[in-house]
Amino acid sequence: MASFDQNAEKNLQLSHARPDYVLEVKDLSLSYGDEDIVKHVNLQIQPGEVLCIAGESGCGKSTLLKAIHGMDAVNVTGGCVCFEGKNLKGLNKRELRSLMGTGIGLIPQNPQGSFNPLRTFEVQMKETMASHGLPFDPDEMVQLMESMGLPQGKKLLKSRPFELSGGMNQRVAIVFSLLLKPSVLLCDEITSALDVMSGQNVIDEIESYASHSNAAIIMVTHHLGIADRIADTVAVMNHGEIVEYGSKDQVLHDPADSYTRMLLEKIPRIRREAAS
Amino acid sequence: MKTVVSVKLIKRRARIKAVIIGSLCILLILAAVLSDFLMPHDPNATSALLIRKPPSAMYPFGTDSFGRCVFSRVLAGAKTTIFATTFLVAVTFAIGTILGIISGYYGGITDSVIMRTTELFLAFPQMVVAIAVAGILGGGLSAALIALGVTAWTGYAKLARSHTLSIRNENYIAAARLAGLSGWQIILRHILPNILFPLITNALTQIGTTMIGISGLSFLGLGVIPPQAEWGSMISESRAYIQLAPWSVLYPAAATVLTIMLFNYLGDAVMELGAAERRS
Amino acid sequence: MSLIPLLLALSFFSFLLLDMAPGDPAEKKLAAQGIAVSREVIEAERIRMGLDRPFLLRYLSWLISALHGDLGISYKDSLPVAAKLVTGLKMTCRLAGFSLLLALMISVPVSILCAVRQGSVFDHIARIFSFAGNSIPNFLISILLMYLLCIRFKLFPVIAGDSLTGLFLPVISLAIPMAGRFIRQFRAEMISQLEMDYVTGIRARGVKEMAVLFSNVFRNCLGHMITVIGLSLGTLMGGSVVIETIFRWSGIGKLVMDSITARDYPTVQGFVLLMGTLYLLIGLVTDLIFVFLDPRVELKV
Repeated sequence: MASFDQNAEKNLQLSHARPDYVLEVKDLSLSYGDEDIVKHVNLQIQPGEVLCIAGESGCGKSTLLKAIHGMDAVNVTGGCVCFEGKNLKGLNKRELRSLMGTGIGLIPQNPQGSFNPLRTFEVQMKETMASHGLPFDPDEMVQLMESMGLPQGKKLLKSRPFELSGGMNQRVAIVFSLLLKPSVLLCDEITSALDVMSGQNVIDEIESYASHSNAAIIMVTHHLGIADRIADTVAVMNHGEIVEYGSKDQVLHDPADSYTRMLLEKIPRIRREAAS
Repeated sequence: MKTVVSVKLIKRRARIKAVIIGSLCILLILAAVLSDFLMPHDPNATSALLIRKPPSAMYPFGTDSFGRCVFSRVLAGAKTTIFATTFLVAVTFAIGTILGIISGYYGGITDSVIMRTTELFLAFPQMVVAIAVAGILGGGLSAALIALGVTAWTGYAKLARSHTLSIRNENYIAAARLAGLSGWQIILRHILPNILFPLITNALTQIGTTMIGISGLSFLGLGVIPPQAEWGSMISESRAYIQLAPWSVLYPAAATVLTIMLFNYLGDAVMELGAAERRS
Repeated sequence: MSLIPLLLALSFFSFLLLDMAPGDPAEKKLAAQGIAVSREVIEAERIRMGLDRPFLLRYLSWLISALHGDLGISYKDSLPVAAKLVTGLKMTCRLAGFSLLLALMISVPVSILCAVRQGSVFDHIARIFSFAGNSIPNFLISILLMYLLCIRFKLFPVIAGDSLTGLFLPVISLAIPMAGRFIRQFRAEMISQLEMDYVTGIRARGVKEMAVLFSNVFRNCLGHMITVIGLSLGTLMGGSVVIETIFRWSGIGKLVMDSITARDYPTVQGFVLLMGTLYLLIGLVTDLIFVFLDPRVELKV
């Protein structure tokens, strides 16, 4: 619980600078080489809010997530990302590094690739915690793994990423991210490598983390069903632009944009196919 | 922010580089071929009056301790070194490639026999084998070439086999087989042309290594037998007089280093070119 | 391929070497000892050496004595070959060990820095050095060093022999080309590891850059580096023959060159057998270390 207090303290500090938003994306444009991937995106997220960014693959949502996370693999051509009122661009390397994981956490799309394949999970988690000056509690990790449907957590700690399946790696990656107790957690298509049941578990776990710790969640997905389950707000992205952004009820049940309507039309069709 | 250079530009740069280095290498080979006409003096003519003379207009690289013209000997040495290297690389390349393709194409027992043999030769330290074989055979250029060749073909065989395996099951090979072409016809018409580029690239990177090997053996007295001019043996002959006549060591040394660098650079440039071409 | 057949093949090849030498072995032995040769003397020597027996039988009896550490008697001074080789090997190990150490001390930090600062001025300079080191034969490096340091600037005695100062120049001569090769290969491996997804993943969790570089990227390069080092020891064995001859370092390389000059073939044969065996064992050890460092690879012995 101590860490939750820590988050509350963070939020308290935040209230002086910016009462409402833990993260703001202001008029952000991104490019790879000459190609514009993301155009003039604006987003605001409050603590405890779950924002789903929906869109088809290639619409720029993953790139947007990378930029929010402060990675330098993308060119920022305009606008900025502010975390707790601070522009990420203004931070030096060390500040940015210490922000990653604990300030802004990321659950990547490719879970296996996010670990060193040759070292045990325990060693890697210990190293991560040590980098942030945090204590490492293996029991807490085992507990979280078990609640995520990963039995024999003690044994898992001693195993290496290449020994586990993609789905198991995905869940361990989520455990890693949650143990760092980020104020903003970015999730990039996290259920894609999982079957339905483990997908449910994972979504439940993230939802409960959001409500307990008052953390903001940004979840990128092409699956509007997930958005319907856990989102507070939904942004729909198409060709690098946000075409619709608002509360879940408004976007999913009373969409104004034709592209959103088209995306929504696909959901019942899939359900019918699955039922028949 | 990282700037992303376009693939087109990378390709063009790689091509220009390869062409420049390639022409320099051809120029060098030409100089070796025409060395008989470029030499101002007979490289083997000794003179008691001209012992260890510093470089002059007549003798641009000076003379050695037998009064021979170092410049002419460097040119004659270019011929020896470049011809011997080209010969050795070509022969080991041909043997290794043929064995590798046969091994990859036919598979089965043929493959195991050839690959076990390859691994056997690969398991020995090349220079140790070369020194021992050349030493036992009693020196001479042909002994040195055999000594280096004993292990040099293995790399080509392994590479040719892996490339053959990667295309063996392609549709066009199956089609050729259905059309009734024999194994040899398929190998010559369909397999060899398709895997030649990476193999030649590898052969080019071996030129420098081979030159180092030949000059090393000659330096030890296990390669070219004096008075025939070869850079390694020239350096070996003159190094006792390096204090009195540094030119007689330094010019052949410079020739060795520049030539090896040039061919190594050619290997790198062609490899880069191959990588750039694959990117599109 | 497993070790035993390779060792057998190596022993067969070494044995064959003696028969490859032009001329009759008994005649060569007597000639090497400077004994005047007549038909009868050669015949007697042939029988004493067992040359009248069939080839395979001779090989087997040679192999059995070799397994007992008996590599025959030197033609030159009638000393046991094995003892001469061991004495030389000790000196060579000293030389090779220091060279390897120096090469690693140069190449490891340089290649890490190159990979981290890829495309920087430092990277370019290091690559030029590495390219040059790759292209200059080691005998030239040693001659140039000798010329500059011993003759021009008189910092070292020209012939220092087996003393500690005598170690300095040969070690540098062997280490420079090796460092060049190491930098080239280590740098490429570091860069390919740095480009892997896991580095992004670890950085995304805010792991300190030093830990990313050393506990992860460098650690994952180690297997590859060990393999490169193992392979380069073969080159080092060849290089030490040249360097020991130039600097009169009485290691195994100089011994073999002296034996070649004196047509002392059993010593040359023993040299090939010893070096080949060492090289095979080094290969086995590096394979074992590789599997330990990267358990994804299964050992095939």
